[in-house]
Amino acid sequence: MNVKYMAPFVSSAFEVLKLEAGISANRGELILEKCPYQTEDITVVIALVGRITGNVFYSMTYDVGLSLVSRMMGEKVMELDNLAQSGIAELGNVITGKASVLLSEAGFEATISPPTLLVGRGAAISTLDFPRLVVPMETECGRICIHLALRENPMSYEKTNQIPIPSRPGIR
Amino acid sequence: MNVKFLNPFVEAATEVLKAEAQATVDRGMLSLQKSMLTTDDITVLINLVGQLQGVVLYGMAKATGIALVSRMLDQPFQEMDLLAQSGVAELGNVISGRATIKLADAGLNTTISPPTLITGNGIQISTLDFQRIVVPLRTEMGEITVHLAVRENNQEFLPGSTVRLIEGATTSPRAE
Repeated sequence: MNVKYMAPFVSSAFEVLKLEAGISANRGELILEKCPYQTEDITVVIALVGRITGNVFYSMTYDVGLSLVSRMMGEKVMELDNLAQSGIAELGNVITGKASVLLSEAGFEATISPPTLLVGRGAAISTLDFPRLVVPMETECGRICIHLALRENPMSYEKTNQIPIPSRPGIR
Repeated sequence: MNVKFLNPFVEAATEVLKAEAQATVDRGMLSLQKSMLTTDDITVLINLVGQLQGVVLYGMAKATGIALVSRMLDQPFQEMDLLAQSGVAELGNVISGRATIKLADAGLNTTISPPTLITGNGIQISTLDFQRIVVPLRTEMGEITVHLAVRENNQEFLPGSTVRLIEGATTSPRAE
């Protein structure tokens, strides 16, 4: 896990939080973790596949999630209903999407998967042999943590980058 | 969500479980679910990216996971330790990888993400606006539930995966 992959995620998160929820964020102390991540109330899971491969989690408590969604929608949201869930997942999706654009500008092209939302505290999520870089972000809504479990993967990228040679050219 | 995407996963699971753990697989009844999924003891989560995108989840009880790993590695396990976790995750990885080869044969180029292992039951997983096709696979070691939440993606695959046409070469003036 290389720290250089982190900057695009942090700058996208700052930008998206400002744009969507009108809040500013400050980055806290980085932590490198090898043990499984004990889930917070809400976790957004998004995978990256390409030159950079791995998983990104965005974790927060209920209160933080609700207050974020309330800000995004401009109305008080009291409950983590379908709309609120989709709002939080979308936030993760937009941050990751923006980060992947920045990464591709830096020469690391990657495609992101649709978001998956985990709700519930106390389960363990293991990224196995990918260590996680945890980036806490303090916002006016509370703390949001970005967990990055990524690594460079030149092999699979090379493979997808080639034109497959037909076994019998011209004959279908 | 189309059921035809499910068969490659069921076939792959049957083959891999047979090869790795000498298990015979009996497919249970399919169901389509929209509500959130409450996790089993062990859930392997793998994302799909490409012409088919979404997520595939393999859920099982702890006892099933331990029994599977014990057979795969041919030594008794008592606990879901690191090796056992990695074994279960690898199983999900191999099944999904094999399924993507079958999907590619069917014309859907798809890449899988590294597996993520969720342990601890009772948390909820939402695939949001993706419906899940759920199929239980019964084996001698217990039930493995495959949840597939995917859809076809008509957009271009990875940037650089296609040959870009030369500007102007394809727009013939006669066509207009």
